[in-house]
Amino acid sequence: MQLALNATLTNVEAPERTGSELDDIDALVRTYRPRLLRFVTFAIGDADLAESITQDCFLKAYNGRASFRGDCAVNTWLTSIAMNLIRDQQRLQKFRFWRQARATAIDVNEAANFLPSKECSAESRILIKEQTRQVQAALEHLSVNQRSIFLMRFAEDMELAEIAAAIHMPLNTVKTHLHRALKSVRAQVGGSR
Amino acid sequence: MNSTPHLSEREIDSVLIGAPAAGITAHLSQCGHCRQRVAEARVPITRFKAVTLSWSERQSATLPLRSSTAGSMTWKRRAALAATATAALLIGLAIPLTKSELQFAPESAGHRAGSSTAEVAAVSAPALSATMKRNSATAQAATTDVADNEQDEQIARDNQMLQNINQALDNPVESPADAYSLQPVDGHQQAAPLTELN
Repeated sequence: MQLALNATLTNVEAPERTGSELDDIDALVRTYRPRLLRFVTFAIGDADLAESITQDCFLKAYNGRASFRGDCAVNTWLTSIAMNLIRDQQRLQKFRFWRQARATAIDVNEAANFLPSKECSAESRILIKEQTRQVQAALEHLSVNQRSIFLMRFAEDMELAEIAAAIHMPLNTVKTHLHRALKSVRAQVGGSR
Repeated sequence: MNSTPHLSEREIDSVLIGAPAAGITAHLSQCGHCRQRVAEARVPITRFKAVTLSWSERQSATLPLRSSTAGSMTWKRRAALAATATAALLIGLAIPLTKSELQFAPESAGHRAGSSTAEVAAVSAPALSATMKRNSATAQAATTDVADNEQDEQIARDNQMLQNINQALDNPVESPADAYSLQPVDGHQQAAPLTELN
Protein backbone atom coordinates (compact mmCIF):
# COMPACT_ATOMS: atom_id res chain seq x y z
CA MET A 1 0.00 0.00 0.00
CA GLN A 2 2.74 2.40 0.93
CA LEU A 3 4.60 1.44 -2.20
CA ALA A 4 1.55 2.24 -4.25
CA LEU A 5 1.20 5.64 -2.63
CA ASN A 6 4.85 6.45 -3.23
CA ALA A 7 4.43 5.42 -6.81
CA THR A 8 1.46 7.70 -7.12
CA LEU A 9 3.41 10.59 -5.67
CA THR A 10 6.36 10.12 -7.98
CA ASN A 11 4.20 9.58 -11.02
CA VAL A 12 2.46 12.92 -10.73
CA GLU A 13 3.22 14.60 -13.97
CA ALA A 14 3.95 18.28 -14.07
CA PRO A 15 3.46 19.47 -17.62
CA GLU A 16 6.01 21.96 -18.73
CA ARG A 17 4.91 25.50 -18.55
CA THR A 18 5.23 27.52 -21.66
CA GLY A 19 6.12 31.12 -21.07
CA SER A 20 3.22 32.48 -23.08
CA GLU A 21 0.61 30.32 -21.40
CA LEU A 22 0.47 32.39 -18.26
CA ASP A 23 1.49 35.66 -19.86
CA ASP A 24 -1.41 35.61 -22.29
CA ILE A 25 -4.43 35.96 -20.06
CA ASP A 26 -6.86 35.61 -22.95
CA ALA A 27 -5.42 32.26 -23.91
CA LEU A 28 -5.30 31.25 -20.27
CA VAL A 29 -8.98 32.03 -19.81
CA ARG A 30 -9.99 30.36 -23.05
CA THR A 31 -8.15 27.19 -22.15
CA TYR A 32 -8.97 26.74 -18.49
CA ARG A 33 -12.14 28.70 -17.80
CA PRO A 34 -14.70 25.97 -18.52
CA ARG A 35 -13.06 23.45 -16.21
CA LEU A 36 -12.37 25.99 -13.50
CA LEU A 37 -15.88 27.37 -13.69
CA ARG A 38 -17.29 23.88 -13.38
CA PHE A 39 -15.15 23.13 -10.35
CA VAL A 40 -16.08 26.34 -8.56
CA THR A 41 -19.74 26.14 -9.50
CA PHE A 42 -20.27 22.63 -8.23
CA ALA A 43 -18.02 23.17 -5.25
CA ILE A 44 -20.08 26.08 -3.92
CA GLY A 45 -23.40 25.42 -5.61
CA ASP A 46 -23.95 29.03 -6.62
CA ALA A 47 -23.57 29.82 -10.29
CA ASP A 48 -23.42 33.59 -9.87
CA LEU A 49 -20.85 33.51 -7.14
CA ALA A 50 -18.88 30.93 -9.09
CA GLU A 51 -18.57 33.39 -11.97
CA SER A 52 -17.14 36.00 -9.66
CA ILE A 53 -14.72 33.60 -7.99
CA THR A 54 -13.58 32.26 -11.34
CA GLN A 55 -12.83 35.76 -12.59
CA ASP A 56 -10.97 36.58 -9.40
CA CYS A 57 -9.05 33.37 -9.74
CA PHE A 58 -7.79 34.25 -13.20
CA LEU A 59 -6.88 37.76 -12.15
CA LYS A 60 -5.02 36.42 -9.16
CA ALA A 61 -3.24 33.84 -11.29
CA TYR A 62 -2.27 36.42 -13.88
CA ASN A 63 -0.99 38.89 -11.33
CA GLY A 64 0.93 36.19 -9.50
CA ARG A 65 2.18 34.29 -12.52
CA ALA A 66 5.77 35.02 -11.56
CA SER A 67 5.32 32.82 -8.49
CA PHE A 68 4.31 29.80 -10.56
CA ARG A 69 7.31 27.49 -10.46
CA GLY A 70 6.02 24.96 -12.94
CA ASP A 71 6.14 22.05 -10.50
CA CYS A 72 2.52 21.17 -11.23
CA ALA A 73 0.05 21.52 -14.03
CA VAL A 74 -1.43 24.95 -14.69
CA ASN A 75 -4.89 23.54 -14.11
CA THR A 76 -3.80 22.21 -10.72
CA TRP A 77 -2.35 25.58 -9.84
CA LEU A 78 -5.52 27.38 -10.88
CA THR A 79 -7.65 24.91 -8.95
CA SER A 80 -5.62 25.49 -5.80
CA ILE A 81 -6.08 29.25 -6.19
CA ALA A 82 -9.80 28.74 -6.68
CA MET A 83 -9.92 26.52 -3.59
CA ASN A 84 -8.25 29.25 -1.56
CA LEU A 85 -10.75 31.78 -2.81
CA ILE A 86 -13.61 29.47 -1.89
CA ARG A 87 -12.18 29.05 1.57
CA ASP A 88 -11.77 32.80 1.90
CA GLN A 89 -15.41 33.21 1.04
CA GLN A 90 -16.33 30.60 3.62
CA ARG A 91 -14.20 32.29 6.22
CA LEU A 92 -15.72 35.66 5.57
CA GLN A 93 -19.18 34.13 5.52
CA LYS A 94 -20.15 36.21 2.55
CA PHE A 95 -22.39 33.43 1.38
CA ARG A 96 -23.82 30.18 2.57
CA PHE A 97 -23.45 26.90 0.83
CA TRP A 98 -26.01 24.92 -1.05
CA ARG A 99 -29.15 25.01 1.01
CA GLN A 100 -29.16 28.78 1.12
CA ALA A 101 -27.98 29.18 -2.46
CA ARG A 102 -30.72 27.33 -4.29
CA ALA A 103 -31.96 30.51 -5.93
CA THR A 104 -28.90 30.62 -8.18
CA ALA A 105 -28.14 26.92 -8.22
CA ILE A 106 -27.63 25.50 -11.67
CA ASP A 107 -30.15 23.31 -13.38
CA VAL A 108 -28.45 20.08 -14.27
CA ASN A 109 -31.38 19.00 -16.39
CA GLU A 110 -30.74 22.04 -18.49
CA ALA A 111 -27.06 21.25 -18.54
CA ALA A 112 -27.78 17.77 -19.85
CA ASN A 113 -29.30 19.33 -22.95
CA PHE A 114 -25.90 20.70 -23.87
CA LEU A 115 -24.36 17.26 -24.24
CA PRO A 116 -22.59 17.14 -27.56
CA SER A 117 -23.46 13.49 -28.28
CA LYS A 118 -26.33 13.92 -30.70
CA GLU A 119 -26.53 10.21 -31.34
CA CYS A 120 -27.91 9.65 -27.83
CA SER A 121 -31.42 8.37 -27.81
CA ALA A 122 -34.18 10.06 -25.86
CA GLU A 123 -34.08 7.27 -23.30
CA SER A 124 -30.35 7.66 -22.86
CA ARG A 125 -30.70 11.38 -22.35
CA ILE A 126 -33.35 10.88 -19.72
CA LEU A 127 -31.11 8.40 -17.95
CA ILE A 128 -28.14 10.76 -18.17
CA LYS A 129 -30.20 13.60 -16.76
CA GLU A 130 -31.45 11.48 -13.92
CA GLN A 131 -28.03 10.17 -12.99
CA THR A 132 -26.50 13.63 -13.20
CA ARG A 133 -29.22 15.02 -11.00
CA GLN A 134 -28.64 12.26 -8.48
CA VAL A 135 -24.90 12.91 -8.36
CA GLN A 136 -25.52 16.60 -7.88
CA ALA A 137 -28.05 15.91 -5.14
CA ALA A 138 -25.51 13.69 -3.41
CA LEU A 139 -22.87 16.41 -3.66
CA GLU A 140 -25.21 18.85 -1.97
CA HIS A 141 -25.10 16.79 1.19
CA LEU A 142 -21.32 16.64 1.35
CA SER A 143 -19.03 18.97 3.19
CA VAL A 144 -17.15 21.56 1.17
CA ASN A 145 -13.91 19.65 1.49
CA GLN A 146 -15.48 16.36 0.46
CA ARG A 147 -17.24 17.99 -2.46
CA SER A 148 -14.18 19.84 -3.64
CA ILE A 149 -11.96 16.78 -3.40
CA PHE A 150 -14.55 14.68 -5.21
CA LEU A 151 -14.66 17.22 -8.03
CA MET A 152 -10.90 17.45 -8.23
CA ARG A 153 -10.59 13.73 -8.56
CA PHE A 154 -13.53 12.81 -10.75
CA ALA A 155 -14.20 16.00 -12.67
CA GLU A 156 -10.72 17.44 -12.98
CA ASP A 157 -8.95 14.06 -13.12
CA MET A 158 -6.37 15.23 -10.64
CA GLU A 159 -4.15 12.65 -9.03
CA LEU A 160 -4.40 12.13 -5.30
CA ALA A 161 -1.00 13.66 -4.72
CA GLU A 162 -1.97 16.68 -6.78
CA ILE A 163 -5.10 17.15 -4.74
CA ALA A 164 -3.17 16.87 -1.51
CA ALA A 165 -0.68 19.45 -2.70
CA ALA A 166 -3.34 21.78 -4.04
CA ILE A 167 -5.35 21.97 -0.85
CA HIS A 168 -2.45 21.44 1.56
CA MET A 169 -3.93 18.33 3.07
CA PRO A 170 -2.32 14.99 3.95
CA LEU A 171 -2.78 12.31 1.33
CA ASN A 172 -4.55 9.94 3.70
CA THR A 173 -7.01 12.68 4.64
CA VAL A 174 -7.70 13.23 0.97
CA LYS A 175 -8.37 9.55 0.53
CA THR A 176 -10.68 9.49 3.53
CA HIS A 177 -12.69 12.42 2.16
CA LEU A 178 -12.86 10.73 -1.21
CA HIS A 179 -14.08 7.44 0.22
CA ARG A 180 -16.84 9.17 2.16
CA ALA A 181 -17.86 11.30 -0.79
CA LEU A 182 -17.89 8.40 -3.19
CA LYS A 183 -19.87 6.24 -0.80
CA SER A 184 -22.49 8.94 -0.48
CA VAL A 185 -22.69 9.53 -4.22
CA ARG A 186 -22.99 5.86 -5.05
CA ALA A 187 -25.66 5.42 -2.41
CA GLN A 188 -27.60 8.33 -3.87
CA VAL A 189 -27.32 7.10 -7.42
CA GLY A 190 -28.36 3.62 -6.28
CA GLY A 191 -28.22 0.31 -7.94
CA SER A 192 -24.61 -0.23 -7.12
CA ARG A 193 -25.00 -1.41 -3.60
CA MET B 1 -13.47 -19.11 -12.75
CA ASN B 2 -11.93 -17.00 -10.03
CA SER B 3 -11.76 -18.76 -6.64
CA THR B 4 -11.20 -15.56 -4.58
CA PRO B 5 -14.25 -13.66 -3.26
CA HIS B 6 -15.44 -10.65 -5.22
CA LEU B 7 -14.43 -7.12 -4.33
CA SER B 8 -16.25 -5.30 -1.57
CA GLU B 9 -17.88 -1.93 -2.18
CA ARG B 10 -15.04 -0.16 -0.43
CA GLU B 11 -12.55 -1.94 -2.63
CA ILE B 12 -14.49 -0.88 -5.68
CA ASP B 13 -14.43 2.65 -4.34
CA SER B 14 -10.69 2.43 -3.95
CA VAL B 15 -10.44 1.38 -7.59
CA LEU B 16 -12.56 4.34 -8.65
CA ILE B 17 -10.52 6.68 -6.50
CA GLY B 18 -7.34 5.42 -8.14
CA ALA B 19 -5.60 3.96 -5.15
CA PRO B 20 -6.28 0.23 -5.26
CA ALA B 21 -4.15 -2.24 -3.37
CA ALA B 22 -2.01 -4.59 -5.36
CA GLY B 23 -4.30 -7.52 -4.59
CA ILE B 24 -7.31 -5.69 -5.93
CA THR B 25 -5.61 -4.96 -9.21
CA ALA B 26 -4.68 -8.57 -9.55
CA HIS B 27 -8.22 -9.66 -8.83
CA LEU B 28 -9.64 -7.28 -11.38
CA SER B 29 -7.38 -8.62 -14.03
CA GLN B 30 -8.93 -12.06 -13.51
CA CYS B 31 -12.56 -11.29 -12.55
CA GLY B 32 -14.82 -10.01 -15.27
CA HIS B 33 -17.73 -9.66 -12.86
CA CYS B 34 -15.84 -7.19 -10.67
CA ARG B 35 -14.59 -5.33 -13.73
CA GLN B 36 -18.20 -4.99 -14.79
CA ARG B 37 -19.19 -3.68 -11.35
CA VAL B 38 -16.39 -1.12 -11.46
CA ALA B 39 -17.44 -0.02 -14.91
CA GLU B 40 -21.08 0.33 -13.86
CA ALA B 41 -20.09 2.32 -10.81
CA ARG B 42 -18.02 4.64 -12.96
CA VAL B 43 -20.82 5.45 -15.44
CA PRO B 44 -22.85 8.00 -13.41
CA ILE B 45 -19.71 9.88 -12.43
CA THR B 46 -18.49 9.96 -16.01
CA ARG B 47 -21.85 11.24 -17.18
CA PHE B 48 -21.91 13.88 -14.47
CA LYS B 49 -18.48 14.98 -15.59
CA ALA B 50 -19.54 15.22 -19.23
CA VAL B 51 -22.76 17.08 -18.50
CA THR B 52 -21.19 19.60 -16.16
CA LEU B 53 -18.31 20.27 -18.52
CA SER B 54 -20.76 20.78 -21.34
CA TRP B 55 -22.72 23.22 -19.21
CA SER B 56 -19.58 25.05 -18.17
CA GLU B 57 -18.34 25.34 -21.74
CA ARG B 58 -21.69 26.76 -22.71
CA GLN B 59 -21.51 29.26 -19.88
CA SER B 60 -17.98 30.28 -20.81
CA ALA B 61 -18.93 30.71 -24.44
CA THR B 62 -21.90 32.97 -23.75
CA LEU B 63 -20.65 35.12 -20.92
CA PRO B 64 -18.39 38.09 -21.58
CA LEU B 65 -14.89 37.98 -20.23
CA ARG B 66 -13.40 40.65 -18.04
CA SER B 67 -9.65 41.02 -18.16
CA SER B 68 -7.38 43.08 -15.96
CA THR B 69 -6.44 45.21 -18.96
CA ALA B 70 -10.07 45.98 -19.59
CA GLY B 71 -10.50 46.92 -15.96
CA SER B 72 -7.62 49.38 -15.98
CA MET B 73 -8.86 50.88 -19.23
CA THR B 74 -12.24 51.38 -17.69
CA TRP B 75 -10.66 53.13 -14.73
CA LYS B 76 -8.65 55.40 -16.96
CA ARG B 77 -11.67 56.13 -19.07
CA ARG B 78 -13.66 56.99 -16.00
CA ALA B 79 -10.91 59.34 -14.79
CA ALA B 80 -10.78 61.04 -18.17
CA LEU B 81 -14.55 61.42 -18.24
CA ALA B 82 -14.55 62.86 -14.75
CA ALA B 83 -11.85 65.37 -15.68
CA THR B 84 -13.72 66.36 -18.83
CA ALA B 85 -16.97 66.77 -16.95
CA THR B 86 -15.27 68.92 -14.31
CA ALA B 87 -13.68 71.12 -16.95
CA ALA B 88 -16.99 71.51 -18.75
CA LEU B 89 -18.69 72.42 -15.50
CA LEU B 90 -16.08 75.05 -14.69
CA ILE B 91 -16.35 76.56 -18.16
CA GLY B 92 -20.12 76.52 -17.92
CA LEU B 93 -19.95 78.39 -14.62
CA ALA B 94 -17.29 80.83 -15.80
CA ILE B 95 -19.13 82.04 -18.91
CA PRO B 96 -22.26 83.34 -17.13
CA LEU B 97 -20.14 84.94 -14.44
CA THR B 98 -18.01 86.72 -17.02
CA LYS B 99 -21.08 87.93 -18.87
CA SER B 100 -22.72 89.22 -15.75
CA GLU B 101 -19.51 90.94 -14.72
CA LEU B 102 -19.27 92.66 -18.08
CA GLN B 103 -22.83 93.76 -17.82
CA PHE B 104 -22.95 95.00 -14.25
CA ALA B 105 -19.33 95.81 -13.42
CA PRO B 106 -18.74 99.45 -12.37
CA GLU B 107 -16.46 101.65 -14.40
CA SER B 108 -13.92 101.94 -11.60
CA ALA B 109 -11.02 99.54 -11.88
CA GLY B 110 -10.68 99.22 -8.15
CA HIS B 111 -13.70 97.02 -7.77
CA ARG B 112 -13.03 93.34 -7.14
CA ALA B 113 -15.53 90.55 -7.31
CA GLY B 114 -15.60 87.59 -4.96
CA SER B 115 -14.67 84.74 -7.27
CA SER B 116 -11.44 84.31 -9.13
CA THR B 117 -13.21 84.33 -12.47
CA ALA B 118 -15.00 87.52 -11.60
CA GLU B 119 -11.71 89.05 -10.52
CA VAL B 120 -10.24 88.40 -13.91
CA ALA B 121 -13.31 89.83 -15.54
CA ALA B 122 -13.33 92.86 -13.27
CA VAL B 123 -9.82 93.92 -14.26
CA SER B 124 -10.70 94.29 -17.93
CA ALA B 125 -14.39 94.97 -17.69
CA PRO B 126 -14.41 98.81 -17.30
CA ALA B 127 -12.00 99.52 -20.14
CA LEU B 128 -13.68 97.01 -22.35
CA SER B 129 -17.09 98.38 -21.56
CA ALA B 130 -16.05 101.98 -22.33
CA THR B 131 -14.43 101.00 -25.57
CA MET B 132 -17.45 99.04 -26.59
CA LYS B 133 -19.73 101.96 -25.82
CA ARG B 134 -17.59 104.42 -27.81
CA ASN B 135 -17.37 102.10 -30.76
CA SER B 136 -21.03 101.44 -30.59
CA ALA B 137 -21.92 105.17 -30.59
CA THR B 138 -19.64 105.93 -33.51
CA ALA B 139 -20.94 103.03 -35.50
CA GLN B 140 -24.50 103.99 -34.73
CA ALA B 141 -23.99 107.58 -35.85
CA ALA B 142 -22.37 106.57 -39.10
CA THR B 143 -25.05 104.08 -39.77
CA THR B 144 -27.77 106.67 -39.10
CA ASP B 145 -26.24 109.26 -41.53
CA VAL B 146 -25.91 106.76 -44.34
CA ALA B 147 -29.41 105.52 -43.82
CA ASP B 148 -30.89 109.08 -43.84
CA ASN B 149 -29.14 109.97 -47.10
CA GLU B 150 -30.28 106.83 -48.82
CA GLN B 151 -33.82 107.37 -47.63
CA ASP B 152 -33.95 110.94 -48.97
CA GLU B 153 -32.62 109.88 -52.34
CA GLN B 154 -35.13 107.11 -52.56
CA ILE B 155 -37.98 109.45 -51.72
CA ALA B 156 -36.81 111.90 -54.37
CA ARG B 157 -36.66 109.13 -56.95
CA ASP B 158 -40.10 107.95 -56.05
CA ASN B 159 -41.52 111.47 -56.30
CA GLN B 160 -39.94 111.93 -59.68
CA MET B 161 -41.41 108.70 -60.92
CA LEU B 162 -44.86 109.67 -59.68
CA GLN B 163 -44.61 113.02 -61.41
CA ASN B 164 -43.69 111.33 -64.68
CA ILE B 165 -46.64 109.03 -64.36
CA ASN B 166 -48.99 111.93 -63.72
CA GLN B 167 -47.69 113.80 -66.71
CA ALA B 168 -48.12 110.79 -68.89
CA LEU B 169 -51.69 110.41 -67.76
CA ASP B 170 -52.51 114.09 -68.14
CA ASN B 171 -51.21 114.41 -71.73
CA PRO B 172 -53.97 113.27 -74.12
CA VAL B 173 -52.57 110.82 -76.57
CA GLU B 174 -54.40 110.27 -79.85
CA SER B 175 -55.95 106.92 -79.82
CA PRO B 176 -56.22 104.85 -83.01
CA ALA B 177 -59.87 104.38 -82.23
CA ASP B 178 -60.55 108.13 -82.55
CA ALA B 179 -60.08 107.87 -86.28
CA TYR B 180 -63.18 105.75 -86.48
CA SER B 181 -65.45 108.07 -84.48
CA LEU B 182 -66.58 105.30 -82.24
CA GLN B 183 -69.42 106.01 -79.89
CA PRO B 184 -70.20 104.21 -76.72
CA VAL B 185 -72.92 101.66 -77.26
CA ASP B 186 -75.31 99.92 -74.99
CA GLY B 187 -74.68 96.35 -74.09
CA HIS B 188 -77.75 95.14 -76.05
CA GLN B 189 -76.98 96.98 -79.26
CA GLN B 190 -75.20 95.20 -82.00
CA ALA B 191 -71.84 96.40 -83.17
CA ALA B 192 -71.50 98.18 -86.44
CA PRO B 193 -70.75 96.03 -89.44
CA LEU B 194 -67.15 95.71 -90.39
CA THR B 195 -67.81 97.21 -93.78
CA GLU B 196 -68.91 100.50 -92.19
CA LEU B 197 -65.83 100.61 -90.05
CA ASN B 198 -63.66 100.34 -93.05
